[in-house]
Amino acid sequence: MALKDSVHNRPSSAALALWLQKVPYAMFLGIKAELCETDILFTLPEDKRFIGNPSLPALHGGVIGAFMEQAAALHLIANMDNPTLPKIINFSLDYLRPARLRDTYAKCLLSRQGRFISHISITAWQENIDQPNAIARAHFLTPEHK
Amino acid sequence: MPVLSNSQKYNLVKIMNDHIPHAALLGIEVECIDGEELTLKLPYQTVLVGDSDAGTLHGGVLTVLLDQTLGMATVCSDASEPSVTPTLDLRIDHLRVAPAGMDIFASARVYKATRKILFVEGFAYCESKDNPIARATGSWVRVADVDLSWLVPPDKGTV
Repeated sequence: MALKDSVHNRPSSAALALWLQKVPYAMFLGIKAELCETDILFTLPEDKRFIGNPSLPALHGGVIGAFMEQAAALHLIANMDNPTLPKIINFSLDYLRPARLRDTYAKCLLSRQGRFISHISITAWQENIDQPNAIARAHFLTPEHK
Repeated sequence: MPVLSNSQKYNLVKIMNDHIPHAALLGIEVECIDGEELTLKLPYQTVLVGDSDAGTLHGGVLTVLLDQTLGMATVCSDASEPSVTPTLDLRIDHLRVAPAGMDIFASARVYKATRKILFVEGFAYCESKDNPIARATGSWVRVADVDLSWLVPPDKGTV
């Protein structure tokens, strides 16, 4: 079933939530996805369990990366005509600022959607999208339809 | 500070690892240290699954494990003294899917240390290092030297 609404050609927040519920690790992290104008806004809620540096405190860089990868995967799924779980090929992550103990947001740009391979850029921020905490890009392999 | 022995590095890395809440949450443990190479272990847990039909781990779990392993491998380098080292960047190639139900190991070492930057490489694997699940490279910044000598017990031989 396509996530995209046939009339407005965009996914619904309810359909995004259903996809997240299929992913145990996304539920474990409490990741949320909602429509925000024409974009999908992803949220990693503030949680002390995500601390990687207790002295600052700052969130674990790995959990920021995991959140961004999950955001990218769901962003890609939401843009598929026949949604399937894509396979990550590689992931490259630049850390720009330490992430503090508060909500973290992510938005994605589907730079290229090929028949087999897609490229997605991801930005994660906390206070201001113009001062991102991390930017990343991911390549995904889309399974062939049988 | 002279080059640390395996047992001194093990104690240092274990104290650091056990003080990181997110590492504890995922059950990440120090497996072993061999010279400059650090190996951590992540026990399989169903809450860490990405594909619930296949039962395979989420790619993001490998990101956490590899970020942790490569980052902590910086204190195992004999070329530089332990320092506060935030991650500058991390790249992961996902070479194959992690088998369902299997614990994951990750090994990493600093392959080049400059005055400001530590370049690190590592692998994640299950049964054998020769058949890796993922390969990671990244760089860590030496922000400030930290005197960790108080953490280092007298050497009592290798672990």
